Amino acid sequence: MVSVEEVKRRHEASLLRTAGVVGVGIGQKDGKPCVRIYVTEDSPKVLAALPLTLDDVPVEIVVSGPFKAR
Amino acid sequence: MRVAEARQVCECLYLGVKLDGMTPAVHPNVVGVGLGQKLARSQLVEDLCLRFYVKQKLHVLLVPEAERIPVEVEGIPTDVIESREFSIWRPIPPVYQRKVRPAMGGLSVGHYSVTAGTLGCLVKDRRTRYILSNNHVLANENRGSEGDPILQPGRFDGGRLDRDVLARLVTYVALDPDGVNVVDSALAEPHSPDDVTSDVLNIGRLKGTREPQLGESVRKSGRTTRLTKGVVEDASATLRVGYSGGSFVFTDQVVVRGAGGGFSSGGDSGAVIVGEDAKALGLLFGGSPFFTVANKMTNVEKALDVAVV
Repeated sequence: MVSVEEVKRRHEASLLRTAGVVGVGIGQKDGKPCVRIYVTEDSPKVLAALPLTLDDVPVEIVVSGPFKAR
Repeated sequence: MRVAEARQVCECLYLGVKLDGMTPAVHPNVVGVGLGQKLARSQLVEDLCLRFYVKQKLHVLLVPEAERIPVEVEGIPTDVIESREFSIWRPIPPVYQRKVRPAMGGLSVGHYSVTAGTLGCLVKDRRTRYILSNNHVLANENRGSEGDPILQPGRFDGGRLDRDVLARLVTYVALDPDGVNVVDSALAEPHSPDDVTSDVLNIGRLKGTREPQLGESVRKSGRTTRLTKGVVEDASATLRVGYSGGSFVFTDQVVVRGAGGGFSSGGDSGAVIVGEDAKALGLLFGGSPFFTVANKMTNVEKALDVAVV
């Protein structure tokens, strides 16, 4: 099985081109590694376009809002 | 009644308050008129007197006769109290936003044309010690030039070019609008090594650098939200981050969630993210309404070829 890092790397470019997506990372969900997809808003339009798993790795959608320099 | 009238007359003649039948005048040294008891060496001398508050109390012979405050007004004795000038109470800014020498991590700092950010910590190469912060704090998002003055506190906190220059911009890692960025960082060299210390305000000395771990507790000391605690939720994020000049993609970033409240806000950029073992883990540079984002300090050291002091 490929690592979460590899799965994230494979998909991040296309995910970042998806409307509403501002980031892709790696976190933990129920004690297991997962791919985190950061989105600007909790809207059905944005969420419907996102996968539930990526190459068998679970996905966690994180509503972060837009990121800005501070 | 006599007392109230006497006070009105004095307010008119010394403070310029209008009163029918009199010409208002302003006395340069009088800042207030009131009523109260008269004390001399803590002993009660008069039950009621007219109190003249003055900027400066002078010997009677030093005051021109026309400007002297009379011994009594309409039979009511006077007293002269030195009070300097009255002003509204401005809140005293927290130490994070004030001028501090030697300067240290956590304090307000900024390029002379930037509002304000945070001084992260000191770093060194083989010869020199520098202050570390973000490109967008010390180099104004690629717009700064080598030698530009760096103010402490930053301009937004009252920092001025004629008295608050701490350092000069030395170098920065250019932000790339088309490629993938890893750090938002810059170095400035203090005018004098004695003007800086390697402490971080309310955190203390740093003990080197390491990679952050998923789920670990961290803290930071910054200009706006001061000392806060959080948890690392992501240690390898790729994010799009908005700047004044557009949005830039960053990879290999750290995402922190505040523990019981926000972890950072505008002006905290440049703060060092510190582990419980006092190791430097990240350089704060951005955030969303719910998260804070930092570069990995290991990447910052590599990009600038320096080590955390």
